[in-house]
Amino acid sequence: MRNEISYYQEIREFIETQLKSNFLVGCDEQLCVYWGIGELKSNLYRIIEEHPVECSCALQFAKRVPPLSLDIFALITNGNRFELLILEVKLVKSAGLSEWSQLVGYCLVSGAKYGLLVNIDSGSSERLSRTLLDEPHMSHIETIVDGCNREHILGFMQWNSLTHNFEYTNLGSIKSLSDLSSKLVSEFTDK
Amino acid sequence: MNTDKAYLFGLIIGGGVFGNAEDYFRIRLPYKQWGSYEINPKRASDISRDILVFLSPLFRNIYNLTINYQASSGGIWYILCEGDLSDLISDLQSFGIECEGDLRNHVSIKKIVEALVDDNLKRRFIAGLADTIGSTNPNHRRFTNEVQILSFELKGFNFSFVCELCRLLYSINCLPDQILWNHPNFHCANNPYYKQWNKGFKLRVQIDQYEKFGAVAFKTKAKSLKENRDLQQYVHTVVPCPEREIKAAKSCVHPGEDDKRLPECIRGGHYLHNRHVCAVLGCEHAPYKAVKELFHDAGKLISPFPILCKDTSEAIEDIIAKDKLLSDRVYDNRRYSVRFLYDLYRSDHSALIFGNGKDAGYHISEIIQGVAFIIADVNDLNGKRVRGKYIELIEKYLLSDSDLSVEIRIPDLLTPLVITGNGRGALIGAENPHVYKSLISVASDNEYKLNVRPITEKDLSNEK
Repeated sequence: MRNEISYYQEIREFIETQLKSNFLVGCDEQLCVYWGIGELKSNLYRIIEEHPVECSCALQFAKRVPPLSLDIFALITNGNRFELLILEVKLVKSAGLSEWSQLVGYCLVSGAKYGLLVNIDSGSSERLSRTLLDEPHMSHIETIVDGCNREHILGFMQWNSLTHNFEYTNLGSIKSLSDLSSKLVSEFTDK
Repeated sequence: MNTDKAYLFGLIIGGGVFGNAEDYFRIRLPYKQWGSYEINPKRASDISRDILVFLSPLFRNIYNLTINYQASSGGIWYILCEGDLSDLISDLQSFGIECEGDLRNHVSIKKIVEALVDDNLKRRFIAGLADTIGSTNPNHRRFTNEVQILSFELKGFNFSFVCELCRLLYSINCLPDQILWNHPNFHCANNPYYKQWNKGFKLRVQIDQYEKFGAVAFKTKAKSLKENRDLQQYVHTVVPCPEREIKAAKSCVHPGEDDKRLPECIRGGHYLHNRHVCAVLGCEHAPYKAVKELFHDAGKLISPFPILCKDTSEAIEDIIAKDKLLSDRVYDNRRYSVRFLYDLYRSDHSALIFGNGKDAGYHISEIIQGVAFIIADVNDLNGKRVRGKYIELIEKYLLSDSDLSVEIRIPDLLTPLVITGNGRGALIGAENPHVYKSLISVASDNEYKLNVRPITEKDLSNEK
């Protein structure tokens, strides 16, 4: 019987492959994706140390972010700017509000702009589906921290462990991996 | 282009059927028995799940289309796509694809393939095609269950589509096993009178190859591939096309070679091997040298007459009456002992009889097959085929009647001989390589294309 951790690698690899393909066709400049599994702060330091040219732009962020235990996160960078994507991976019959709240909490605490709740081979609870459909602000959260506006864009997807593919749910503000890719590309091209 | 669109384009090109409606089109899934809800209700339920749980949100998200489906007991599924199609149509047009009729019958995927700039995008596109036209029926195998095949199947005459798809698979190191071209030289190599040769294309890929490099997104297809893969004990590799040995078998000239539906570059040609077609189409992976080497033996590999044509005696007489070259012959009618023919076959399977004593004459193995068809009881026939092995059937009948004989009509020139009996008839063409080679020429516009002119009485008389 597999536990959720055993799926991390295939999920991470799949997302990275899709992001890189979409960056290749949708972005003029080269975007790099670096991954961490587990604690955020120490992994960020490790990534910066391993790839100083590309990732030094995240050093100040790494210094101020509190230690935070995550499933998986990605640092996406063009060398000058970066964005964080947090993946909260679950292996439950149906992902509900508590799993969603966990992802929201991680994004708020870390300041990560993008977050995906991924349930393996199962979907969401009726209550979570209804909430995400009826209340868009639950997946597109805007906050003011120290006078600065922050935005958190979240989505919910299902990982199919047989096809090694995502099944989209249309729940949340990230509808697909191509949607996530184009949102990320716009972070680096619009500003 | 993006990864989700690449998959959807594969799916739509594989099965998309567009009509006049501006807000509606269908994707045909030709699953047949494999997907029939009567034969396999569990799988049918999985297919509906794939459509509603996987495809519906994808279409909704990428093109804001609403998805539903229709299924028939025959296993043909239609994904019904409704909504404003303008974005989708405009996207496809940007790749030179006009949304009219059955897309796969007329589109070229050349431009879209150019936009698949990395292996992952290529895999996503191929996954869309595999989910529509990739057959995972376990009958697709090479000789035994040990080599399982995924077969991309399509009707029509879009040779360039098949060639482009093969190249695309090749480009991600997924080497196809073989292509069965929709051409009479492959669908009915023995009988020029068989008109139902238009059976479609099959691009076959070994599952081991596909699992490694390709993909499917439908859970039902993934399950089926896994089930088929489990039938194998070993992993099998594929030799690249240019290095693979070519073994050509004899085929007869078929009137369908001139069918107007065939593309011009193919029409009017005779093809010795599936990779001979690849060479004529100009594929960079075609074994050009090996194909040219086959031309030396073209007189042995091409027959202007049927190799073996089995039918009712009336149909055979009708064929003879309608062909002046056959009807003008003087036939020597004799009864031949089946035992005599059987012993001859046993002593030399490749013996030629009733010929010139050298390289021309009638192949004993074809005659024996014709004899088996003629003497068989109705219960031993499945249509025009004998049940089981033809030689075992002859042995069975000789055991019960060792004096069994058949009537054979041998023509004065080497046109087909005729075997009759039991209300059935068989035409068997002669081997006559020297004469046949004189009919063959290389096309002026393509050094790999062979043209074969009709044989005349003079050709045969001169050789006598």
